Amino acid sequence: MTPKLTAPARGDNRRTGNAITRRRPAATTLAMFAVVVALPLVVPSATLACEILIFAMAVLGCNLLLGYTGLLSFGQAIFFGSGAYVAALAMIHWQVGLFTALLLAVAAGGLLALLVGALAIRRKGIYFVMLTLALTQMAYFIAYTLSDWTGGDNGLLDVPRPPVALGGFTLFDLETPLAFYSLVAVLFVLIYLGARRVIDSAFGSTLLAIRENEARAAAVGYDTRHFKILAFTLSGAVTGLAGALYAMLLNFVPLSNIELPMSEQILIMTIIGGTGSLFGSLLGAGTIVILGDLLSALWPRWMLLLGVALIAVVMFMRGGLWGGLEALGRRRAGASRKTQEDA
Amino acid sequence: MLNVYLFQTLNGLGLGMIYFLISVGLTLIFGLLNFVNFAHGAFFLLGSYLCYTTVTLTGNFWLSLLVAPLVVGLLAWLLERSLIRRIYHLPHTFQILVTLGIALIIQEASIMLWGPVGKSVPAPDLLRGIVRLGDFAYPQYRLFLIGFAALVAVALWLLLERTRFGALVRAGSESTETVSLLGTNIFRLFSITFALGVALAGLAGVLSAPLRGANPFLGPEILGVAFVVVVIGGMGSFGGALAAGLMVGVVQSLMASLWPQGSSLMIYAAMAVVILLRPYGLFGRA
Repeated sequence: MTPKLTAPARGDNRRTGNAITRRRPAATTLAMFAVVVALPLVVPSATLACEILIFAMAVLGCNLLLGYTGLLSFGQAIFFGSGAYVAALAMIHWQVGLFTALLLAVAAGGLLALLVGALAIRRKGIYFVMLTLALTQMAYFIAYTLSDWTGGDNGLLDVPRPPVALGGFTLFDLETPLAFYSLVAVLFVLIYLGARRVIDSAFGSTLLAIRENEARAAAVGYDTRHFKILAFTLSGAVTGLAGALYAMLLNFVPLSNIELPMSEQILIMTIIGGTGSLFGSLLGAGTIVILGDLLSALWPRWMLLLGVALIAVVMFMRGGLWGGLEALGRRRAGASRKTQEDA
Repeated sequence: MLNVYLFQTLNGLGLGMIYFLISVGLTLIFGLLNFVNFAHGAFFLLGSYLCYTTVTLTGNFWLSLLVAPLVVGLLAWLLERSLIRRIYHLPHTFQILVTLGIALIIQEASIMLWGPVGKSVPAPDLLRGIVRLGDFAYPQYRLFLIGFAALVAVALWLLLERTRFGALVRAGSESTETVSLLGTNIFRLFSITFALGVALAGLAGVLSAPLRGANPFLGPEILGVAFVVVVIGGMGSFGGALAAGLMVGVVQSLMASLWPQGSSLMIYAAMAVVILLRPYGLFGRA
């Protein structure tokens, strides 16, 4: 049996019975709501809060592949970057509104992920990873070459942040960071709840089956390729949306959005937060974005810590931060039960 | 005009030999240990920086050719004994993540030690001139680079094909278990091979330093190219790494003046096509 990238704790939990596993998602969903509401009050600026939720969105997309389907994709930057470029270019050249721009980004991310997924899943293991890596490099050099459109090294400047409008009437202006945060927060909550439903559906269970043992899932009669491509498409659509929101937040699309390190950053957030946990995605993105904000001024080389954390998580704490919290909670629950028995 | 192409082709061969040295280490480690090393580019970077430091301290480039690979190899050996050894049995995904972490640590530590701005390294005094052949002139250092790397390639080939160690490595690449059952200390073989492969990346870093300097961003770029070479040549193939390394070097060099991004686009496209159509590489065994 080969070990997978998930918390060993999850297996234990599943064995403890249905009631607990069924109650837990409700609790984490409530916790997610609490975090989303409290975030702009707790972190130093609403802009930082926006950044956290935007990356948490991209991490959710990555988690669907890595955590739930067992696919390590270096292609996330393609979807993130293309979502950003497509939304920005549509707003700049066609003056499209907010929702059209976001929908175009979702479509671009999803479509590219469909292509990347359909190609990459033809190979397994290391060759699969190498394919996603090669395709990301290609996307980067294409974006670099199309500098008339993307601005090349200088990035794409003057990306607008249109208001929420309906039929030509402006309903809600997004100029202030807090106003933009409310939009990002609503979209994040929708995606989180959507992801929860996907994970809990028969489709989600099949993805988990592929992660645990693809040969067995195929033997049972599932067309695993079909499922993997679909997982890619969903992941790309969510990541593309995150990219578009990030472009609106910065009013700018740097070339680095479509570069390999962006994929690595999203992957690292996913793993440190906890693979196979939706709330872990929020934890991972939040922790790293906040750490980056706090430390980058004090110690520009703080990324070194991420390297250490990455190794530590893989070696000792497969469940990441979420797995750690879970283990802590279980230990406390166990301790209190013990004291009750003693009493 | 013909001279320009000759010049660029020679440049390409030099670049290709550097690519070969990095990739052969990567491919050796993959072949024997079935281990994917994402920190390979970072070790190359470390080699370049150690070359810079040796040259600044002693003024002796030749010393750095010895010191840098030794230090990098020693570091790799220690890392193998302490960390890498514990993850051989894990799926490639874990190996990629752990070595990605190592790469991040080395890269950030290098910036801490040597600063964020790249350092340039002068070519050794002996090789600073140019070679003239009629009306064709070519820098001496680049010629030395091709010759020296070719010598290393021959030595490495002899090591792998003509010595007991090489026989063990080749046998181990076929079946680790059998070699282990025949009474060889396979873990020692693994440590030495890992250190050797990484030391070759360090050596490549030294050789490239007078051309491209030592720059923190070279690590990821070189790692990408090394993967292209290893994939096109076939994972685990010595000859494949040589042929593919030279091919990529010459293509990049010839296109450098025409369309540099285009050459990168091309090599990554070639990598994707090879994985899809011939996953064992153009020169590898099926």
